[in-house]
Amino acid sequence: MPFLASAYWLSLITQILIFGMLALGVELMLGHAGLFSLCHAAFFSVAAYTVAILQVRYGLPTVIAAPAGIVLGTLLGCIFGLSVRTRGVYFILVTLAMGYIIWGVGYRWASFTGGDSGVTNIPAPEVAGFSAADPMAYYYLVLVVLSLTLFAYRRLIYSPFGLVLRGIKSGEKRMLSLGFNPAAHLYIAFVISALIASLAGVLYAYFNKFVNPVSASLHISVEAVLMGIVGGTGTILGPLIGAGLVLGLRNWVSSFFTLHLAVMGLVFIAVVIWAPGGVMGIFKKWLTDAKER
Amino acid sequence: MAQVILSLSNVSKVFGGLRAVDQVSLQVTNGERRVLIGPNGAGKTSLFHCISGTHHASAGKILYLGRDITHLHEFDRTILGIGRTFQISSVLVDLTVLENIVLAILGIQKNKWQIWRHYLKIKGVESKALAQLGQVGLQGQADVLVKNLSYGERRQLELALALVNNPQLLLLDEPCAGLSPSERKNLFNLIKSLPRSITMLMIEHDMDVALGLADRVTVLHQGRVILEGDSDEVRQNPQVREIYFGQA
Amino acid sequence: MLDSFILQTLNGISYAALLFLLASGFTLTFGLMRIVNMAHGAYYLFGGYIGLTLAKSTGSLFLALIGGGIAAAILGYFADRVLIKRTGENHLTQVLVTIGIAYIIGDVSLEIWGGDAQKLPLPVFLKGIFELPGGIIYPKFRVFLFLIGLLVGIILWIIYRKTQIGAVIRAGVDDREIVSANGIHVDRLFIMVSALASFLAGFSGVLGGAFLTVYPGAEWEILVFALVVVIVGGLGSLEGAMIGSLVVGLLDAYGRWLAPELSYFVLFGPMAILLLFRPRGLFGSANMT
Repeated sequence: MPFLASAYWLSLITQILIFGMLALGVELMLGHAGLFSLCHAAFFSVAAYTVAILQVRYGLPTVIAAPAGIVLGTLLGCIFGLSVRTRGVYFILVTLAMGYIIWGVGYRWASFTGGDSGVTNIPAPEVAGFSAADPMAYYYLVLVVLSLTLFAYRRLIYSPFGLVLRGIKSGEKRMLSLGFNPAAHLYIAFVISALIASLAGVLYAYFNKFVNPVSASLHISVEAVLMGIVGGTGTILGPLIGAGLVLGLRNWVSSFFTLHLAVMGLVFIAVVIWAPGGVMGIFKKWLTDAKER
Repeated sequence: MAQVILSLSNVSKVFGGLRAVDQVSLQVTNGERRVLIGPNGAGKTSLFHCISGTHHASAGKILYLGRDITHLHEFDRTILGIGRTFQISSVLVDLTVLENIVLAILGIQKNKWQIWRHYLKIKGVESKALAQLGQVGLQGQADVLVKNLSYGERRQLELALALVNNPQLLLLDEPCAGLSPSERKNLFNLIKSLPRSITMLMIEHDMDVALGLADRVTVLHQGRVILEGDSDEVRQNPQVREIYFGQA
Repeated sequence: MLDSFILQTLNGISYAALLFLLASGFTLTFGLMRIVNMAHGAYYLFGGYIGLTLAKSTGSLFLALIGGGIAAAILGYFADRVLIKRTGENHLTQVLVTIGIAYIIGDVSLEIWGGDAQKLPLPVFLKGIFELPGGIIYPKFRVFLFLIGLLVGIILWIIYRKTQIGAVIRAGVDDREIVSANGIHVDRLFIMVSALASFLAGFSGVLGGAFLTVYPGAEWEILVFALVVVIVGGLGSLEGAMIGSLVVGLLDAYGRWLAPELSYFVLFGPMAILLLFRPRGLFGSANMT
C-alpha cells in the first residue's frame, strides 16, 4: 500500500502488523486450543531483548541476532510450556505470573538488561548488504514476514494438528478416549505460539529501535488477547483486524484524552460482554442474516 | 479353543468409602457378545471406566489380549484396539459430524501430528469417514455442527466414533439410552449386525434387549458379580428377578 | 550473617501477612463463587489511596484502615453487581472484564492522586523500631503488620472452620448446588464473602501503603504475588493461602537478599515445582477448574 507515505501512518500500520503477529500467536492457544495465556509478552520481549543486546552490545550482525532472538524466545516457550499441565483458571494465573516474572527480571536485572531504560540504538536489520533502514522498506519486510507466517498458520489450522487442538478445546475428555494425549498436543501448540510471538518480538526490536521492560508487561499480553477477541476469536484474520482496531483506537484516544488506559478498560468490558465474537463474529452474523432475508 | 480377549481379575474401584466395583472377575472370549446388566448403581459404568482407562482401578488386574493394561493410559488403550461409547453423550459439540469422525480416525494414527496438509487430504481419511457415517446413517449430516443434531443422531455418531477404527474390543455403555422405540430398533439392529471380529461388551438396562443379543450375561449388583450365564439361565434366576423386580 | 538471615525471615513473614490479607479474599471469592477477580489488586490500590487521604487529613491510622476497607468494599460491590455478574461462569470473560475494571480504577486513581509513590503517615506509636532479643533491630510497623495479619488469619480461620457460616461457605466451596438446595440464601452469602474480600483488599492496601508506599502499578505487583500464593496454596483453600503466603513471602525476602537482580526468578521456583508434581496447588481440589 504505497500511498500511505505519511510517516505517522506507516509507523502505525507497521506496528499493527507486528502486534497482529503477536496476537496471532496468542490466538493459537486461545481460539484454537482453548487456553487463555497471559505470558506471551515474555517471549515477545525476550526475543526483542536478545536482538537488542546482541546487536547493540556485542555488535553481532542481524543474521545471527535475529535467529537468536527467535530461538531464545521459543526456548522460553519450551520452559513456560510447563503451564499446560494446568487448565482453565489455573492456566490463566500461572501464565500471568510467569509473564510477570520475566517483566520483573527485565526490570530488576539492570546490569544486564539496562533496567528501566532498556537497550537503545538498535540498528536497522542488515543482511548481505541489504539494509531495511528505510521505514517503507521495513514495512515491506514486516508485511512479507507476516504474510508468510499467515500462510503457514493457515496450513497449521487446517491440518490434523489444528483439528486436534479444536477437538481438545471442545472436549478434552472425549479426546482421551479417542486416542489422543492432549497434554502433548497442547505443549507443542504452546511452543509454536511462543515461536510466533518471538518472531513478532524480533520485528518489534528493529522497528522500535529500543527495548525496555514495558515490552514484557502484563499490559502487552492482555492487549494481545484483546486484539484476538475484538477481531474475532478462532479465526485467522481476527488478530490482525483486532490489532488494527485496538491500536487505532488507542492512538486516536490518547491524542486527546490522558485516561486512555481507562478507555481501553471500557473497551475490553464492552467487547467481552456485548460482542464476544468480535468483528468477524459480527460479520459472520451479518452474512447469515443477509442470506436469510 | 476360544481366545480370551479381555480378562478381569478381582478388579475393584473405590471412591472414598464407596466400593463402586468390588472384586469383579470375568473373561470375554473372541467374538463373544457379553452383556452386563444390573440395577442403577450396580457399578457397570464404573467397571467400564476401569476397562477403558477413564479411571484407574484401585485393585486387581485387567488383561487385554494377554497384556496387562491395568495402569495404561486411556489413550494408549484406544490405540491398542479398544473402542468405547459413553452412556452420557460426549461427542464434540462445537465441531461438525465429519470433524468428529475424522478425529476418531486420526486418534490412533501418527498423522495426528501433521501440521501442513489439510486433514481431509490425509490418505484414506475422507473416504473412511464418509463410509462410517454411511454405516450409521449420518452421511447426509457430515457438515452439520453436532450441537445442532438431535439426541438420536448424536447416539448414532457416538457409535460411529467407536466403530470407525475397527476395534477388537467394543465397549458399549447403554448405546440406545434415551432413544425413541424406532430409533432403538434401528441402532440395535446395527449393533446386532456387526461382525464377530469385533468382541462386544455391552451395558444394557433393558432386559429384553440385553437377553436378545447376548451370548452370555454377567449380572452386577452393588459392585459385585452375582451371576454369570447364558440368557435363559439369567432370565429364570430367582435372585436376578428379585433384584430387578423386587426393587422396583 | 545470622542476623541478616533473621532479619530477612522477619521481612518475609511480615510481607506474608500482607499477602495473606489480599490472597485470602481472592481465593475464597473463587472457591465459593468461581469468580476470578483480577481487580483485586486495584481494590488494594484504591483502598490504599483512600486510606492515604484519610490518614493525611485526620492523622488516624484506624480511620484510614477502616475507610480504605469500606471504600474498596463499596467499589467491589458495584463492580460486582453491574459488571462481573454479567460474565456468568466464563472465566475468560471474568478475567478480561475485571482487568478492564482494574485499568479504569488505576487510571482514575492516577488522575486523582498523581504518579508519585506516596507513603502513608504513621501514628507516633508505630514509628520507629523495636529491639528484639539478640540485639536485632526491627521496624515497629512491620511487627504490627504481622500481628494484624495473624489476627485476621485467626479470625478468618475460626469463622471458616468453627462456625456454621463457615461450614456453609466450605460446603459451597466444594459444591455450590448443595448450598442452594438447602435453602440457604446463596445470594446474600455471596455478597457477604465478596464484600469481606474487597474490604480486606482495601484494608491491606492501607497497610501496604505504610511501608511499601502507594504508587501506580502497585496493584499489579501485589496481585501477581497474591496469585502465586494462590497457585501454590491451591484455589479455594484458606489454609493454602496461609501456607502459600509464607512460602512466597519468605522466598521473596531471601531472593531479594541473596540475588536482588534476579529475585523475581525466585517466584518461579515453587510454581515450577508445583506444576511438575501437583498442578492444583498444595491444598487445591481437583475440580477447581
